[in-house]
Amino acid sequence: MTAKSFAGSFAGSMADALAAAVAASALLLAAGTPAMAQVFTPNAEIVQGLSSSVDDVPGVSAEALRGLAEAHMQYEGPPQSRPPLALQLDQLAQVNVEIEFELNSAMVKPSSYRTLGAIADAMHNPVLLGYRFLVVGNTDATGTRAYNMKLSQERADAIASALTTTFRVDPRRIQAVGLGEEALQDTQHPDAAINRRVQIFNVGRAGPLPPL
Amino acid sequence: MRFSGLVLGALLLLPAVAQAQTVSYAEAAGQLAQHCGEDIMRHCRGVNLGNGAISQCLAANQAKLAPNCAANHESIRMMTEARAAAQQAVHRLCDRDRAEFCPGVQPGDGNIVSCLLEASKVVSQACEAGLTNAGYR
Repeated sequence: MTAKSFAGSFAGSMADALAAAVAASALLLAAGTPAMAQVFTPNAEIVQGLSSSVDDVPGVSAEALRGLAEAHMQYEGPPQSRPPLALQLDQLAQVNVEIEFELNSAMVKPSSYRTLGAIADAMHNPVLLGYRFLVVGNTDATGTRAYNMKLSQERADAIASALTTTFRVDPRRIQAVGLGEEALQDTQHPDAAINRRVQIFNVGRAGPLPPL
Repeated sequence: MRFSGLVLGALLLLPAVAQAQTVSYAEAAGQLAQHCGEDIMRHCRGVNLGNGAISQCLAANQAKLAPNCAANHESIRMMTEARAAAQQAVHRLCDRDRAEFCPGVQPGDGNIVSCLLEASKVVSQACEAGLTNAGYR
């Protein structure tokens, strides 16, 4: 994933931007606001979930997890009969976030925009500013395994892309991986909604990051 | 009358309470969904927030948008830009304070911001405002 930013549209000075934001807030307060249901994971919950990090995180990477998930696809048969995928991520600080996607698509529905923003706010929070994160997408077992693997990767990438471009989280702090249906949370009910989830893990210190 | 004048005078003498001139990313993104969610589902189906794609799609469909979305989506985008600009400006606004209050602190891992926050009672007003607008305090 590349870190294409909004640089082109970023020409206004800081003062202009601030003035516009203040004006915009006033405008919005005055305007009537139509109700649109939003599903929201609050910022404080995300910060808390991701804060209790251990300093010596074992080498967890998107690449390593992808390899394990792909290897897991060799086990055939119904999901209930497959051995569990042992990812050993339990010791990492983590949070499950509720993100709604369009059916069979990597499009994040607007109802989850606020949560995407809250994830970004959490990653910009001083408590978490020094850490790297792994965004993990999972599907349920409806559809083929190969399709689920591809879709979950696209969804994880969509989240990472929003975080690193629109919300300016340094791309060196974010990795994204889709595990398809290989890491079901509820193996007894492989089509259950609980399996469709986005997890974020704190994978340790970022170290010095020279300006991009 | 005289009393209220005194109160007003006293209030004017108080140091300005630092209030953020920017809003959080969650707030801006939530407002975008609130004002433009239906238009996004109608005109930008399959498009995502990353790389400015939603803003570009809304701008391209400006004439078809509901009035409330048409009137507000650009200013909502500017709210996100303002927060991003404020976060980028902190190191410049706080450069002297960093040298004075955080000598020897290694850059990276959020160390500088953490140090500035610990020193926030003594840092310059510009730096303090910078930290506030960045959403760091």
